[in-house]
Amino acid sequence: MSVVIRTSGDLDGPMSDTRRIRGALGPMARENRAALEKRHPAIFAGSRLGRAATTAIFAGLLGLLVFALWRLEFSFARIGAGIGQLLHFLTLMVPPSAGTWARFWLFLHSLGETVAIALLGTLAAAVLAFPLGFLAAKNVVAQRVLHFFARRFLDTIRGVDTLIWALIWINVVGLGPFAGILAIMSSDFGAFGKLFSEAIEAVDRKPIEGVASTGGSRLAEIRFGILPQILPVIAGQVLYYIESNTRSATIIGIVGAGGIGMFLSEAIRTLEWQQVSLLVAMILVAVAVIDQISSRIRFAIIGERRIET
Amino acid sequence: MLTIERLTRRFGDFVAVDAVDLEIPAGQMVGVIGRSGAGKSTLLRMIDRLVEPSEGRIAFESREITALKGASLRHWRRDCAMVFQQFALIDRLDVLTNVMMGRLDHMPEWRSFLKLWSADDKAIALSALELFDIAALAANRAGSLSGGQQQRVAIARALVQEPRVILADEPIASLDPRNTKVVMDALLRVNRDFGITVLTNLHSIDLAKRYCDRLIGMKAGRVVFDGTPRDLTDAVVRDLYGLEAADVIEIPAAGDPTPDEIRAAWDAERAREPV
Repeated sequence: MSVVIRTSGDLDGPMSDTRRIRGALGPMARENRAALEKRHPAIFAGSRLGRAATTAIFAGLLGLLVFALWRLEFSFARIGAGIGQLLHFLTLMVPPSAGTWARFWLFLHSLGETVAIALLGTLAAAVLAFPLGFLAAKNVVAQRVLHFFARRFLDTIRGVDTLIWALIWINVVGLGPFAGILAIMSSDFGAFGKLFSEAIEAVDRKPIEGVASTGGSRLAEIRFGILPQILPVIAGQVLYYIESNTRSATIIGIVGAGGIGMFLSEAIRTLEWQQVSLLVAMILVAVAVIDQISSRIRFAIIGERRIET
Repeated sequence: MLTIERLTRRFGDFVAVDAVDLEIPAGQMVGVIGRSGAGKSTLLRMIDRLVEPSEGRIAFESREITALKGASLRHWRRDCAMVFQQFALIDRLDVLTNVMMGRLDHMPEWRSFLKLWSADDKAIALSALELFDIAALAANRAGSLSGGQQQRVAIARALVQEPRVILADEPIASLDPRNTKVVMDALLRVNRDFGITVLTNLHSIDLAKRYCDRLIGMKAGRVVFDGTPRDLTDAVVRDLYGLEAADVIEIPAAGDPTPDEIRAAWDAERAREPV
């Protein structure tokens, strides 16, 4: 197949007036498909096999889901019956009210305590996890034994939930916000250590090589090659955890480790639904405000321009 | 025929492309030359509508490119492929999938989303890869390839779009001399064998002269030269680059100092400075 097309220009120069072209890629490839399949059998067959495997995995997962629903006695009927009860509670919740102003100030004070617990606990966890994150990162500590123990230590700490840590610390330092701070610090220390070390392992090697090439020490490599790369990631994680911990600090309050959770559990137990809705609304507002502040801080660190482009 | 009329792009107060008029007939291999910041990249990116023009119009045959939106804009981008300096491949995916990106606008969305490539599409991708001697790498991760190989994958991706035009934005700026030749040969081949119009930005005047039918010189956003490589005289090059022509095209003239003389003159100049 050959086609003659017109181009403009002088006839004898490189810009010849007409040119013979061989055809188009698509039709040529379709014509040669049999030969191509023979030359690259793996590519044509591979996907058929891969497709069968993907379908099988999805079918398996779907089967597992159905089995689990059956085994755990999942029942739409029970949800339907319970919905009426839920709607009844909702009508009892409006309008949100604390009853008296004195109690409202008490709520506000305890909300402040909750935010303080979350902030201090998270920051303490981040400070403790920072050096350990480097120890647990493969590309910083080549020493396998040290690396292994750092990892397992973090796993162990992380394996215990915040609520359990709260119960433990209450027995050590007594009831109150101090126990709450220690509980959040303990559990998130493990989580941060893991997240930080993963962020460190994902860094680009080129800037590190650049620092090493100037005769910089190992510490300088970490300080200038790794730290600027992980700082935005770490900041994002810490800020999210402060927000998330404001929510979990309410649960800590329920077991007596300070904060708004204590009032919330008491209101639910005594069926004061208007107080419950007010407390939930207060927590929502606090979380929204923290989210706003943290996105400002995050953009200040990353720089707005990187999001735009 | 690609028609560009009074095309202008401003970034704030800076005029990157200033009232450019061009007519490019089908099947030409056109090189765009000029200093960094002359507006070459912006011009190319506007043709693919990756950058929106501030003023002017672009037309391809009966299509008003500047007015396209949504699906019709995607069809134009399929018909007008782009090759980038930094390849713009998806490093973590294999070569075949990367080339398949060129077929996206040829197949229904759900097929591509589930990666259900048809045998015909695979045949097209493989024949493009065979054309550039990289079919054996089809199952490798794109990120593990060398620069020259990656750029050939990118050209294969452009080719399987079955485009009418290929725009190449400094396609060889990150490559060594051998890969430069391989990639430029690939572009020339696409132009000669398939009659696809090629519009490429080049830094090397030497290469532009060797490979292109027509050269367009840009300076401060304006087209200041438009002609065959033969028309590109030293005087024009000097004007384009604001440099001695010999510095740019690296062909020593008879009267030029030898490297030894240049170094000696340099040292002599330094010797006069106080320590």
